[in-house]
Amino acid sequence: MPRKVNRGVDYDEAYDSYDDYDYEDDNDYSVDSPAKVEEPQQKVKKLWSCSICTYDNEEGMSVCDICGVIRNPVAGDFKNSNKKTAAFKFDAPSPDDMVSTRLQSSKLNTQGKRGKQNASNSTDTAVNGKLDSKYSDRPPAETFHGSSGSIEGHNSLKKGILSGQLSDEASGSSNPLKIEGTQGNADDDFSGQKQTAPASNFGKMSLSDKPGNSNALDSRKHKSTAEYHPDKWMLPDKANDTLTQLNLAIVGHVDSGKSTLSGRLLHLLGRITKKEMHKYEKDAKIQGKSSFAYAWALDESPEERERGITMNVAVAYFNSKKYHVVILDSPGHKDFVPNMISGATQADAAILVIDASNGAFEAGFDGSKGQTREHALLIRSFGVEQLIVAVNKMDVVGYSKDRFDLIVTQLGTFFRSCGFKESCILWIPLSAVENQNLVAAPSDARLLSWYRGPYLFDAIDSLQPPARDFAKPLLMPICDVTKSSSQGQVSVCGKLVAGALRSGLKVMVMPSGEVGTIKSLERDSQSSAVARAGDNVTINLQGIDLSNNVMPGGVVCHPDYPVAVARHLELKVRALEELAVPILNGSQVEFHIHHAQAAGKVAKILSILDPKSGKETKRSPRCLLSKQSAVIEVVLNTPVCVEEYSNCRALGRASLRAMGRTIAIGIVTRIIQ
Amino acid sequence: MKIVRRDYTHNGPGSVKMTPVDSDDLWFAYNLILPGDSVMAVTVRKVLREMASGSRDAERVKLKLEVRVEGIEYDKEGGVLRIRGKNILENEHVKIGQFHTLELELHRPFVLRKQVWDSLALEVLKQASDPTASADLAVLLMQEGLAQIFLVGRSVTTSRARIETSIPRKHGPAIAGYDSALNKFFQNVLQAFLKHVDFNVVRCAVIGSPGFTKDQFHRYLLLEAEKKELRPIIENKSKIILVHTSSGYKHSLREVLDAPSVMNIIKDTKAAEEVVCQHAFFRWNSVDPDRACYGPKHVEVANERLAVQTLLLTDDLFRNADVPTRRKYVDLVKSVKGSGGKAHIFSTMHSSGEQLAQLTGIAAILRFPLPDLDDIEM
Repeated sequence: MPRKVNRGVDYDEAYDSYDDYDYEDDNDYSVDSPAKVEEPQQKVKKLWSCSICTYDNEEGMSVCDICGVIRNPVAGDFKNSNKKTAAFKFDAPSPDDMVSTRLQSSKLNTQGKRGKQNASNSTDTAVNGKLDSKYSDRPPAETFHGSSGSIEGHNSLKKGILSGQLSDEASGSSNPLKIEGTQGNADDDFSGQKQTAPASNFGKMSLSDKPGNSNALDSRKHKSTAEYHPDKWMLPDKANDTLTQLNLAIVGHVDSGKSTLSGRLLHLLGRITKKEMHKYEKDAKIQGKSSFAYAWALDESPEERERGITMNVAVAYFNSKKYHVVILDSPGHKDFVPNMISGATQADAAILVIDASNGAFEAGFDGSKGQTREHALLIRSFGVEQLIVAVNKMDVVGYSKDRFDLIVTQLGTFFRSCGFKESCILWIPLSAVENQNLVAAPSDARLLSWYRGPYLFDAIDSLQPPARDFAKPLLMPICDVTKSSSQGQVSVCGKLVAGALRSGLKVMVMPSGEVGTIKSLERDSQSSAVARAGDNVTINLQGIDLSNNVMPGGVVCHPDYPVAVARHLELKVRALEELAVPILNGSQVEFHIHHAQAAGKVAKILSILDPKSGKETKRSPRCLLSKQSAVIEVVLNTPVCVEEYSNCRALGRASLRAMGRTIAIGIVTRIIQ
Repeated sequence: MKIVRRDYTHNGPGSVKMTPVDSDDLWFAYNLILPGDSVMAVTVRKVLREMASGSRDAERVKLKLEVRVEGIEYDKEGGVLRIRGKNILENEHVKIGQFHTLELELHRPFVLRKQVWDSLALEVLKQASDPTASADLAVLLMQEGLAQIFLVGRSVTTSRARIETSIPRKHGPAIAGYDSALNKFFQNVLQAFLKHVDFNVVRCAVIGSPGFTKDQFHRYLLLEAEKKELRPIIENKSKIILVHTSSGYKHSLREVLDAPSVMNIIKDTKAAEEVVCQHAFFRWNSVDPDRACYGPKHVEVANERLAVQTLLLTDDLFRNADVPTRRKYVDLVKSVKGSGGKAHIFSTMHSSGEQLAQLTGIAAILRFPLPDLDDIEM
């Protein structure tokens, strides 16, 4: 969407020209001698950190002590360079010249490793672009437009790579995803032009990206992501690891059988030993809850077992033919939606479990009481585009095709309204209890007679691999923290949103800003050497003060690229249907973003947007009603780690809740304070 | 508030001598005392005396001073009211016109003299001196990892304690960590509970949380009470009420006060009235947004058309130092009451008042829809 306000206000800011200067300079290097590409040094401190190994060298050294990389000659201080850069701008080459130089530089670069990486990612970008244009509330015509663009991207892959590379240089980011985000935010005619003459839009593209950047920079942020160059180990080596990790959230209304389905899957795939299963069965029987035996594999706490409901998101792992699957088994009860949010934001894809039995489906789908709608919308707001709808408990309704079709029609209409694409939804009738259609084709004749589709395990493999931000600076929202005072270390677990990790690396934990060293990495309780974007890992950190509160909701990040910590945000939101109370100026809300949550209030409703075109229809309205889209300002009681959506999607997606219900979902468009 | 002596005329000058007896009373006093009034109280002042030899000697003297109020400050946590102004009572130590800050504390009488005792001031005085309206309620709001204790008084909600810890989720070796972390968390909450909840003062203690945290804690509380022989808890078991809330944050207090079991206990208090009223406002807002409005301008327009059924105001607006503004609101209340409507004045120290203050501090439920209000700039 157009962010006119930003552009108008911030464009002239000193930081922008400074930014400009940076990659101008960067670019020159890559033309002259690509090998010497280096981050310009900006630290005013006596230390300078090596761009490759991040080791803090003494001021006097001209070469990195550890890896021998030559220090950037421009290491002088940039503090008084604002004036200089302003002057510099006048001498800057015309946009056309810039394009041609970049063309050259990019050609040079394509031979390098980064070029390869880009090529592998560019298809992902295209897919993502296609899916995303749908989400960004455009009119249907526009959606078509966007997808045609991405088709073109597929066809002329070579050109796509080139332009991807080009735009990379232009907006100063080494990541194609980001560019794509900018595109989404740009004007419609802009994206139209892009296809015909990608080069001529350069200046514009980089301009529209900048205001967002400069806003996100807080005082601590020394460097813009433009200068970040990933190390070789951070990029995935396809030959080594054939399976990619897929985070799969299992959501649905309470008692639809999410945990039982997950437990059954794990059991069938041999992730639960016979002995363990026998124990669960026995214990469950003693408590008179034999039907919960499979669920107990995931619901471990006594409280959960006693009540027979999941309260916290459980994590389990299995391997499919294509993926290392991480199951996030979410609670369905409405009181635990906050837990579900904090656990399932990691999801790349989701299984929505529906209880097919008479009355139960209707209860779950009921707008005011059921969680089916809320979960589906939340999952969509986390950026999940691919959905498997598991219609469970088909045994109860005698594997009736009519019942299945009824559910498909009713839910299908709803999914379209939340922005899921029909082609990305898979419908699978199954029964977890009777083991029908889970990891093998169904055996029951009643189901066989009409169902010919894939079984669940197959469906998981048919999911598209998600796009990852390997080449961006490290970002990992903390999902869970365990402290071990005996060893003096803190274990944090979460999913890497961007970048990569390995032991020995120095990382910063926000919001406290403490720097610690990674001692070891664990994945599925087994130590691993490297973790990259998309991986769900536990890291053991050393050098972090134990008394200091490392809390879920914090973010582990690259010491040079700390994430912003803010309490005053501008959001673009969509109010959900059937709001109990309209959103007013001053409404008190609970704010959820990645794993963080905070109480806050809606400070101001700036404008209501047309849901189709995204144009402003009304300024400063009195209230926000169901299904309206709007730009609002939110002030939180406690600051949270956040990034603008255009910079980092996972850290820019928020949801607002009040009175135990989700009232709005949206994205962070601007960090105000 | 104990009224010792009153001597005033309606809408005329006069004075009242009173003694605040509980922390709510200071809040009432804060709302009563306005810049321009005069307050007389016993106070302590450091007096510099010059000796014959030229040496200076500082001495703290207890004296009675009357000041013309210029500034007033309420310290919620400390339970003190500070009144700054110029002295108007001749004294051997303090000259007329010298500045002094009076500190009003509990159980210290003072005399308030006003040029005009308007109907609102008298209303506040009446409320303050009504002993039956006390609604002391201790509320423990929890969610896993976060607990807050509040004391809800007649017109003030004070936050007493806040406990926040990170509780690891389950699975893997963390499952043991979960249990011990939860236990530690409960232990801390229990300590805070014992320290801040005095069953001699509060009518009941409410534990509110989403999910089962409240039940878990309740069970823990009773078990520990048995184990450690915590008399106050064993004796007051029946005074502990469990209520479901949607979160552990402060704004969930509204849900606590709204719960039928709690509502029964506090039904004739101001806090309860406020909650009911605010609830109605929000309900109208969702049912028919044209029949509810907020913001001074909209409410004023609505009142001109005699459309205001219920007026919701925060006491903040009356504390306005600006006399015409205060009069404007006093007149607004009067005119609403005159046309058969009701007016509720919310305390900004309560959660409901806090919410109202965020909605500009003034709102109204209308008799008939006024859709054209939308077109008026707020």
